[in-house]
Amino acid sequence: MSEHAAPLLRPPRHRVDPRARAWWRVQALLTLSGPMLLTALVMAALSVLFFPGALPWLGPLLLVVLVLPAVAYLVVMPRMRYAVHAWELGERAVYAAGGWFWQKRRIAPLSRVQTVDTVRGPIQRRYGLATVTVTTASTAGDIKIAGLSDADAEALSRRIGEVAQDVPGDAA
Amino acid sequence: MSAARHDGPGTGGDAPTPAPHTDDQPAVPGTGEWRRLSPRTLLVHCGWLGAPLGSLALTALATGGRITAGAWITLAAIAAAFAVVTAAGLVRWARTDFRVTAESLDVRSGLLTRRLRSVPLHRIRTVDLTASPLHRLLGVTVLRAGTAGSGEGSGELSLEALPVVEGERLRGELLARAAAEAVAEDPVLARINWRWLRYAPLTFWVVGGVFVAGGSAYRALHEMGIEPWKLGFVRRAFEEFGNGMLWLTLPAALLAVIALGSVGALVLYVENWWSYRLEWADAGTLRVHRGLLTTRSVTIERARLRGVVLREPLLLRAGGGATVRAVAGGLGNKEENRKRSGLLPPAPRREAVRVAGGTLRTPFPDPEVTGRQIDGDRHLVRHPRAALRRRRTRGLLFAVLPVSALLAGLGAAFTPVLLHAAWIYAVLATPAVLWLARDAYRNLGHQIVGEHLVVRAGTFSRDTLVLRREAVAAWTFTTSPFTRRAGLVTLTAAVAAGEEGYRVPDLAQGAAAGFAATAAPGILDEFLTRPVGHGDRTPST
Repeated sequence: MSEHAAPLLRPPRHRVDPRARAWWRVQALLTLSGPMLLTALVMAALSVLFFPGALPWLGPLLLVVLVLPAVAYLVVMPRMRYAVHAWELGERAVYAAGGWFWQKRRIAPLSRVQTVDTVRGPIQRRYGLATVTVTTASTAGDIKIAGLSDADAEALSRRIGEVAQDVPGDAA
Repeated sequence: MSAARHDGPGTGGDAPTPAPHTDDQPAVPGTGEWRRLSPRTLLVHCGWLGAPLGSLALTALATGGRITAGAWITLAAIAAAFAVVTAAGLVRWARTDFRVTAESLDVRSGLLTRRLRSVPLHRIRTVDLTASPLHRLLGVTVLRAGTAGSGEGSGELSLEALPVVEGERLRGELLARAAAEAVAEDPVLARINWRWLRYAPLTFWVVGGVFVAGGSAYRALHEMGIEPWKLGFVRRAFEEFGNGMLWLTLPAALLAVIALGSVGALVLYVENWWSYRLEWADAGTLRVHRGLLTTRSVTIERARLRGVVLREPLLLRAGGGATVRAVAGGLGNKEENRKRSGLLPPAPRREAVRVAGGTLRTPFPDPEVTGRQIDGDRHLVRHPRAALRRRRTRGLLFAVLPVSALLAGLGAAFTPVLLHAAWIYAVLATPAVLWLARDAYRNLGHQIVGEHLVVRAGTFSRDTLVLRREAVAAWTFTTSPFTRRAGLVTLTAAVAAGEEGYRVPDLAQGAAAGFAATAAPGILDEFLTRPVGHGDRTPST
């Protein structure tokens, strides 16, 4: 190993589309934050209607256990994701960064690329976003770039297709 | 029916090795003709009726021959199921045939929707012959041909079932295109040595195995309508046990459980590894043959063999033993891969190292983990001390704290006995966890040795992975807020073989990229920076 100046992995060059933040927020609302807030609301309402005596301790409990985590997730997750998510198509490899709590950077050489899928979910379509998944022969090598703008996704998948054809393949 | 099946030119009874066919394609009888599966397949399909019929017979026996209305209904249902299964099997058998042409293996199947699956011979990587005891009784075997896809089921063709001789011959045909160069050294890497049997009790989760077996026996009895607790001798035994001297009976019971578990482990070892043989069938094909009741013969193409893993589970390691697994593509999904990738039963570590080397065709690098970063390949590079702290914290946080807190909480609420249990658990578990954390850290290391990448990690199972460097298909760097603060990063090598992703846990953040780039050049070179020109992230377009 050349130890004189250990190289570092720099982040990918291109950020994802800014609209991705809105998409992630809606996703958070639908999957985690929304149900949590709804549960808190229903419990608080039930308590007010039927057990007013429980409110002094139930209120703070709901606030700490349900409301604050839900709001924090809703606010923090999209921001952190936007700060982390990035992608880059190099000459010989494709590079993507993702995640927010656990952050992942994955690099796969174009010579190993097998397929390029572009997926647009119902919420993504509203924001004009797409997810590009590049698969390799190994399931641990699949690269997923979420939150690209439609145009970027199309260009990227086309370019990966072109480049992958040029690079001598050993898609074993 | 298929007359072509039996008229092989006196195929020498037992194990016809894949005939070294030369240039032109094999002149096997039936080449290019559609062939049927063995009609005995129909009988195999009826095999699953054995369990309900058997339990019915047991019930009849237990009740002294008085079969109740419920039992008659069961019998009728079984008869109906029998008819359906037989009919379905008959249709499937009649509508399934296969052929081997010069280029491909074709299988036609389906009653209304005819399906033709055709696999090019050059894509077939492994050919696996498996026979359950029932199959063996009927003299048939299931042939599975795995292809490069390494995917979930899609890449696999299976023929259920063929006569054994035909199966062996078909395997020869399918693998005939593999180069049949002479193997220079002794092609047989290892044979079963029954002195290794002493390692068997160190492998099976002995005590747990007994409880699992006991549980399933109880369930089976329960299904048959027998309540073990109501049997007189069981109740009497338990009363005796309770009345006896506990300080004597408890260890005796534990000893009995361990003895029972060991016997189970021995039986399992014998069943799995009877007539075990690991050999290079030819220069390009590694073959494992094993099994007593269920025989298994797995063939791995050398080009698909990406590396080996030397596994040393805690107990086995304490006894100086190890096992070897192959990291190979085309062995099927995770479950199938686990069953097929075993190359060596629990055996002395020296033997395991030898077999691993023979499989790699190069001496197995078995270096020690040392503190300093030495370029010599006799040493694994040790990971930063933050990795040790992380292991300690994790152990205390997930193993010691929750149980102690739970016991203490329950103790405070209900009974002081649990309070004592809590502190006793904490006092005993803490040193154990610290010891395991230290062991895990001492095992942690990585190195590049020639054409291979060596990674060692784990304490419950110390696994040494030796992976061909060119097999790495992608690199992943994973961090969490905790590892980022500790300056660590976990590297994952994606491989189109074995378990797909192989982790190098908790590397130093500064060294990970350099290691990945050196180990598998050409993947991430263009995304590297030298720390001098720090932070050149350009804003997006």
